[in-house]
Amino acid sequence: MESSEPLNKNGEPLKKLSKSDVTKLGLLSMLLQISYSYERMQAPGWTLSMIPAFKKIYGDSHEDLAEFLTYNMEFINTEPHMATLLQGLVLSMEENGQDRALIDGIKNGLFGPFAGIGDSIFWFTVLPITAGIACSFSEQGSILGPLVYIGVYVLVCLSRILFARLGYSIGTSALGTISESTKYLTKAAGILGTMVVGALIPRYVTFAFADSLVLGASGSTVQSVFDNLLPNVLPLACVFLIYWLFKKKHCNVILVILGVIAIGLAMSFLGWM
Amino acid sequence: MELTLSQGLLMALVGFVCSFDQQTEALYWFRPIVAAFFTGIVLGDVQLGIACGAVSELAYLGLTMVGGNVPPDPLFAGVMTVVIAYTTGQSAEAALGLSYPFALLAQAVGILFYTVYSFVPERLDGYAKAADERGFARFLISTAIVKSLVFALLLFLCTYALQGPIQSFVSAFPTWVIHGFEVAGGVLPAVGLGMLLITMLKKETYPYLFLGFLMATFLVMPNVLPVAIAGAAIAAINYAYEKRMDGASKSASMSAAEGDESNGI
Repeated sequence: MESSEPLNKNGEPLKKLSKSDVTKLGLLSMLLQISYSYERMQAPGWTLSMIPAFKKIYGDSHEDLAEFLTYNMEFINTEPHMATLLQGLVLSMEENGQDRALIDGIKNGLFGPFAGIGDSIFWFTVLPITAGIACSFSEQGSILGPLVYIGVYVLVCLSRILFARLGYSIGTSALGTISESTKYLTKAAGILGTMVVGALIPRYVTFAFADSLVLGASGSTVQSVFDNLLPNVLPLACVFLIYWLFKKKHCNVILVILGVIAIGLAMSFLGWM
Repeated sequence: MELTLSQGLLMALVGFVCSFDQQTEALYWFRPIVAAFFTGIVLGDVQLGIACGAVSELAYLGLTMVGGNVPPDPLFAGVMTVVIAYTTGQSAEAALGLSYPFALLAQAVGILFYTVYSFVPERLDGYAKAADERGFARFLISTAIVKSLVFALLLFLCTYALQGPIQSFVSAFPTWVIHGFEVAGGVLPAVGLGMLLITMLKKETYPYLFLGFLMATFLVMPNVLPVAIAGAAIAAINYAYEKRMDGASKSASMSAAEGDESNGI
């Protein structure tokens, strides 16, 4: 009854994706987040960008297409590059004629953990490093600042092609080995990112007490007391204070920003800064 | 200085392109450093765009859409920092503080879209069931374009139509208020960095934060690239070390198991 070769619901054999089909999938997956909504988040763009590749595999089988579109329109929210990897994986399983309930289960099990890995790479490592380097060019008035930033992100954007190929080539078997080395990679990325953020603190958090603010009898300025302790100690303390407000007190971002503006105005009014 | 109508229309174009990119997060043209650069080009003052871009990019560094909460809008922050600095002659730091209400306005409109656009997947379900992939694509792409058009119009209103009110509003401020916004502009990057640290800072990464801080405080560096290279070197050493340690403990337990077997035989 079961034939060894997977068939679509019209009884025709399934086709294989070519390398350029997978490249196209990587490029189309840029549309992942269009018309994002709170209800099903990335589902519309996720589904849209897989349609051409799916039609290549399943031909004109309307029944398969309807089933595919419907199960993919379920809730999904992950990091965009990881989504591309997941799409490659989903389509390689479709190509092997796997049961759609199984594909759906794997998709739903992976998008959450993948979001964590992707965010730690792209938001917390690539972004601070790129921004830090680009802004230091910009501060010298160099046009290289925005150009470096734009250039890096063109490459980051095109890396989706690699993620699509990776996902497509993994199939289901090798998921274990991937998640094993991501453990070390995530840690390494964390070290690199944290160190750069440490360097960004003194470069960009810039405030100091006014020279006219003097300690009573000694006549030395308040700022010089801090500078003799450790240069840039105030910006460092300020970042940790705000970090603490978010982490331990769960303060609202908007309140913190408004608080910073209020303190800036107060300091200026008193003539302390 | 004032924006001309054609500059206002070009700003609407920048708004359309960058807000479409903000939906996709593909090219990061919605980030303040890029949006401010484009704004500088439109206004004919590229240097101003570069300077304002650096200040606003860092302030919005940690304010990213991670975990589904929507931050104040980075695109409007970048654009309006340049526009305010250009029209009122304020410094980039003061303009950053003054751009904040516009970032909040765009954030509110963004949240409105995320809520109202919950009808989009509902409609798409119908196309999915009918296997009408063309209708699916057409409807989805047109809703995305409508959203970007709304942001383009909003940016046109903020930059061109409202420039008179903004200018007179700012020029009515006493100098201590302007300086207060400058002070706040110097502190706001701490909010961005503090947000970033919520997820980045763990017990095992704490020491590296201080290493980076000390390098930047005591070494003369033209930019942070040297810190990034040192960080990459340390990360590579740690990667190799941890892999070897884990491998060693695994093979130790394996050889112990083998040893038991051979003894048994």
